[in-house]
Amino acid sequence: MSELSTPFRERAANALGDRFLQQALTIATTKFIDLRREAFEAFPEGEALRDRAREIKEATLQRLDHYLEQLIDNVERFGGRVHYADTAEDARRIILDIARRTGARLAVKSKSMATEEIDLNEALLHAGVTPVETDLGEYIIQLAHERPSHIIAPAIHKTKGQVAELFARELNRPVAADPEVLTRIARGALRQKFLEADLGITGANFAVASTGTVVLVTNEGNGRMVTSLPRVHVAVMGVEKVVPSMSDLVVFLAILAKSATGQKLSSYTTLVRGPRRAAELEGPEEFHLVLLDNGRVKQLAGTLREALSCLRCGACLNVCPVYRQIGGHAYGYTYPGPIGILLTAMLHGNGAVKDLAHASSLCGACMEACPVKIDIPRMLIELRKDNVEHAVAPGSERLVFRVFARLLTMPGLFRLAAPVARVLQRPFARDGAIRRLPLFFGEWTRSRDLPAVAGRTFSERWAELERESRS
Amino acid sequence: MTDRATFLGRIRAEIGTTLGLFTAAVTPRPSHPREIAETLRRELAERWRETLESFRVEFERVGGVYHRVATAAEAPDVIVGIAREREARTAIAWHPSALGTDWPETLTARGLATTMMPAGGVEAAEGQALRAVIAAADVGVTGVDLAVAETGSLVLLSGAGRPRSTSLLPPYHVAVFDRGALVESLSQVGVFLEAWHDGELAPWRGGAINVITGPSRTADIELTLTRGVHGPKEIHAVFVEGGLGG
Repeated sequence: MSELSTPFRERAANALGDRFLQQALTIATTKFIDLRREAFEAFPEGEALRDRAREIKEATLQRLDHYLEQLIDNVERFGGRVHYADTAEDARRIILDIARRTGARLAVKSKSMATEEIDLNEALLHAGVTPVETDLGEYIIQLAHERPSHIIAPAIHKTKGQVAELFARELNRPVAADPEVLTRIARGALRQKFLEADLGITGANFAVASTGTVVLVTNEGNGRMVTSLPRVHVAVMGVEKVVPSMSDLVVFLAILAKSATGQKLSSYTTLVRGPRRAAELEGPEEFHLVLLDNGRVKQLAGTLREALSCLRCGACLNVCPVYRQIGGHAYGYTYPGPIGILLTAMLHGNGAVKDLAHASSLCGACMEACPVKIDIPRMLIELRKDNVEHAVAPGSERLVFRVFARLLTMPGLFRLAAPVARVLQRPFARDGAIRRLPLFFGEWTRSRDLPAVAGRTFSERWAELERESRS
Repeated sequence: MTDRATFLGRIRAEIGTTLGLFTAAVTPRPSHPREIAETLRRELAERWRETLESFRVEFERVGGVYHRVATAAEAPDVIVGIAREREARTAIAWHPSALGTDWPETLTARGLATTMMPAGGVEAAEGQALRAVIAAADVGVTGVDLAVAETGSLVLLSGAGRPRSTSLLPPYHVAVFDRGALVESLSQVGVFLEAWHDGELAPWRGGAINVITGPSRTADIELTLTRGVHGPKEIHAVFVEGGLGG
């Protein structure tokens, strides 16, 4: 993760300076917001279903051991194998073992944040297995050696011209910068990979405990390819992705695509259960399910528990005023946006988000957009509180706030503060705003204006009014 | 590497330290899903016309092409017509035992060279040969297990005579159905999903169920909607009013 060698502030500043990125983000997120709104407006029962879905998630988490046990039993009953990964390292090792044992050389992947999270591609490459991302957006960013910038639209930061250049380099021939042409080229190139691949690797949008079914939601059909054609299928899922039954599953299906892309359903909802059965022509000979902890389990009783209900729809990214400005890469980790900050803390510890926890205006739009109404702002405040308690902020900032806190407890001094500030601000204030402060105070005004201290404070005006009314 | 007991034990221990966030229950499941599904089918049969009309509207909204014929005998002409307009020469089709008719022969006789999928699993070598045929085919002809009015979706079970890729690899997918497949809502799909997983799995059943809603699509390049990225670029649904039989 080379991005992390530069601090968040710098990454954000770079993003803010990228005119194309700004434009692409505005267009994409605005479109997603509109599509989502229209989808729910046409679906009056949606509101109640969101609450239902959240309740199912919570009920599942309360008996997570029970439902996982059911899931495991059912997967095994249908001839699949289940593996247990405490860490990303464990998950990589499990998958590499499977690849080695089955003699796999080529792996096709359908879009999966879980495999991004465990940095699987790099590990596969080192082990001599070529991983090919087959979601068009993921394929593009794989060719560009980048990371997804949006959970459901990984390459929104790329122009068609940039994509054409990438394809031209890969294919060694000129390519027209036309989405239609580019898509056709990708179809041809990837079709070959699907047919040749030994290993199909997917995540899981859901896994149904009562049946042992892994559920994949895609628009392109790559999830179907990856689970139908290669001789081995490995699905990697966070433990929180389990849902109790098919009756629960349909509740989530009814809101997932609407929240993500505004579709009633994505083009393909694929339910797969174990390896190919005797009567079947196709399907994998082996099916493996990798259950991934990687920081999730300790949040069952932790401050980030609510984030375990996330469906990875991306709705909170689109509405977030910070994400809309800086895009996914500036966050620096696998999961961007408001929910991404929480997931990053879950995966890498609170220390990893000491800057990111502040990359939010706490406006609450994320919580409103979230299909399962996760209280993201509340948890961001928790993370900030944790940072304060561990004195992560610079000494200067802490000093300023300590002085301010003191001032607030002493009315006499506080009244004096306004006239003093009015004098002090004179060199900096213009037209009612302070645009630049000296010394370390400058941090505050680096990317925003501070309102100037008023000519008369509220208490001064109040006192005046009281005098007037008495006279 | 962690084993099952340790892994689940740690989860159990964590759960033991918290009451959770609020009182919550999962969705109640039908105790006899097959019977409920049968009752539902009977109820739906009484209002299939309305359901069909909503299905048509939604199916077209998601980019599907809807056709309607009076009898099963007329369907092959529609399929051949679709193929001819698109200069498609070869087709693959579900096995007659899964489709409910013996169209593969009819289609071939009318100029669309159609390969029938085998009735069950086959030897590895034959499977490889068939894969090449499927991958090269222009049209995939399938049946439909459920046609969902709320979402315009087609639900297809994989299994004997109904390989997963029939509706996936060819650029044109033609699905034929009759009133027996019509359901109104996603929650009704939930009832059938429960019923299909109730008790022992029938020997003909495969490991995959697909809910297909429109053609394969992507908007990954500058949000420009493009069809047929990996799966079919067109999906056709042919409603047979007189029923498919079989």
